[in-house]
Amino acid sequence: MNHFDEMNCLLYLEGQLEPDRAREVAEHAASCAGCRDLLRALKTEGVWLRQALSAEEDSVPARLMEAPERGSAPWGWIAALGLAAGGMYTLWSGIVEPWRAQAEQAGFTQGNFLTMLFFSGSFWKGWDSMRSLMEFMAMATLGIVVTWLFRRHWKRFTTVGVVMSAVACALAMAPTANAADVKHGDPNYTLASGQEIKTDLIVFADTTRIDGDVDGDLIAWSRNIIVNGHVKGDVLAWGQDVRVNGTVDGNVRTLAQTATVAGSVARNFMAWTGQADLDEKGTIGGSATLGAGNSTLSGKIAGDVLAFGGHYELDGSFGRNVMLHSEELSIGSTAEIKGSTKYEGNHEAEVASGAKLASPIDFVTLKHGPDYKQVRYYWHQTLLWGASFLFGLVVLLLAPGFFFDAQDACKKVAPAVGFGVLFLIATPIAAVLICFTIVGIGVGISTVLLYFVAAYSTQVFVGGWLGEKLLGPGTGIAPAVGRLALGLGILRILRMLPYVRGAVFCAVLVWGMGALVLAFYKRIRPQLAPAAA
Amino acid sequence: MERRKTTGEMSATELTEVLSQVRAGDADAWGELYRLYAPAIFRFCRRALPSREDAEDATTEVFMKVRQKLGTYDATRPFTAWLYKVASNHCWDMLRRRRIRQDLETGDLETLPLEHPDPSQLERLMEEHTSKQVRGGLEKLPDRARMALVLRYYADMSYDEIGETLGVRRAFVGVLLLRARHQLREALGQGGAAVVRGAAAGESV
Repeated sequence: MNHFDEMNCLLYLEGQLEPDRAREVAEHAASCAGCRDLLRALKTEGVWLRQALSAEEDSVPARLMEAPERGSAPWGWIAALGLAAGGMYTLWSGIVEPWRAQAEQAGFTQGNFLTMLFFSGSFWKGWDSMRSLMEFMAMATLGIVVTWLFRRHWKRFTTVGVVMSAVACALAMAPTANAADVKHGDPNYTLASGQEIKTDLIVFADTTRIDGDVDGDLIAWSRNIIVNGHVKGDVLAWGQDVRVNGTVDGNVRTLAQTATVAGSVARNFMAWTGQADLDEKGTIGGSATLGAGNSTLSGKIAGDVLAFGGHYELDGSFGRNVMLHSEELSIGSTAEIKGSTKYEGNHEAEVASGAKLASPIDFVTLKHGPDYKQVRYYWHQTLLWGASFLFGLVVLLLAPGFFFDAQDACKKVAPAVGFGVLFLIATPIAAVLICFTIVGIGVGISTVLLYFVAAYSTQVFVGGWLGEKLLGPGTGIAPAVGRLALGLGILRILRMLPYVRGAVFCAVLVWGMGALVLAFYKRIRPQLAPAAA
Repeated sequence: MERRKTTGEMSATELTEVLSQVRAGDADAWGELYRLYAPAIFRFCRRALPSREDAEDATTEVFMKVRQKLGTYDATRPFTAWLYKVASNHCWDMLRRRRIRQDLETGDLETLPLEHPDPSQLERLMEEHTSKQVRGGLEKLPDRARMALVLRYYADMSYDEIGETLGVRRAFVGVLLLRARHQLREALGQGGAAVVRGAAAGESV
């Protein structure tokens, strides 16, 4: 006699066998105790499974008591949007508007408003009160985000424990991070001649004046910064007016309204400024990298010069190559350039008769906006598409779950845009604060780098979403790859179109950033508090 | 087959009335429909998905979809069947997207031979485990196995519907269910502590 296997028994019990086959099983079971037992056990198992699954032991959570409304707004993103709007208003009324009024009074009518804001906005007089305001904003943002992340877990002691110990660690780490000598001006700070600081010196003051010696780096955040003494490390200066009359053994890097080097800098000089000057007596041992509205370079630069900006005047001696990308360039009669000179600008450079140039100026007319007639432009765009596709592919293959989560999160347009705006504003603020307050420059710079990676990856998620929207959802990796390629291609084409490309760029950035944040939240949530049965 | 679970009862005519009111944008009717079916859908999602938070999110999302797609519901078919169909598609979509690697890695699992069960041992296993323990064991199963059991024994779906949802041939649904039962027995038989082959891979994505 032939016993039936478990598969056939199950199909028989579930009514899935052909009538003839079912009859065979029934007839056999009538005469075979073993098969009867198996059928009975399997049938009981089915009932047992149904009972176990349908038991109404789990209570329905309170947040599911009310029906979701179409377009209903979770408080999280309302708060995010509100905060972002508040932040923008504060930024505008606190920094931009007063500064703009001040600049207009001073007859400062530079066209590029963003450049002015970038170079000078943060060096406004009321910086100290601004700093506390920004700290408050960042703390509020952080508070909102943390509350949102933990909103379901507040009552769990483990989570609170983790948060508390993280706070405790951050507090405990703070003193070690601030190993340098930190000075707060009252309102000015002066390191008198003959005095010496053995470590790095960090100064926040209205006017910082260094007449003595600093053995380490000088990091200064002031309206006026004057270095007459000797700094053995680097000088990092954020100020309205930065002036180096003394000696710096390392590099000088500055973000300021005006920066002047009249002393000697042994290594490189890097400046992002409205006005950058190298005095006749000034010398730079390494290269100079400049982004300046106006610049007169009359001293000596031993290395290369790489400069961007408005008007440049070269009167000094330049040991190696000069590369310029500016509106205007004049080369004076005292100038000497020992390397090659490349200049990209609106007009050809004005060169005085006495100037000594090792080779003729390699001049290229400055282009405004993309040149649609150039084949190279399309090739360049194709390469950019390829790069973004490759990046997307790496994300997709390394972390498919995260990729799809982020792509899905794009569907939640309003929360994504809300969080996108919030994080786009809050992250740089947080990074700056990290640099100068709690943890240190390393973490701050990593945050900025991650921020750029995140900003770049936004197009991947939005592109993936777009591809899926057009071709419909697919199963698995292969269809996702095709959809990603298509979506990224369309985004790239949109970003080539005149007029709309800026808007497309911003939309993708904000939207994708929000999706990234939402997906990231989804990822970390189960790890923070493992689900209870 | 039509033993679909809801928290309350509503006659077919009442339901038709409520559905047409919802379609017309009546917020009260929508609230009523939601209160009636949300507990069952939450439990469905809770069984199908690995965490409670996911189930909560999924319940909300399923109802948003229901509201959007209500126009496509064919009134000649049972409403609960349609509702479970929407919910199962949503949950499976969520799982599939997260666990792509696992699906690739456990493809060969289906060809492993199954041990023939001893009926008396099986009965003892059933007596020894509470419903809660069974659900605990279910959470340890690979997504597809768990989903198959939930679709069949909670949502009462037909083999055709299960095959369609999980993207497998109808003939394979029986194999899937039998494998899933074996995996559950194994998970429970080892004190519930064991992780069934393949389930571990699913956690590592």
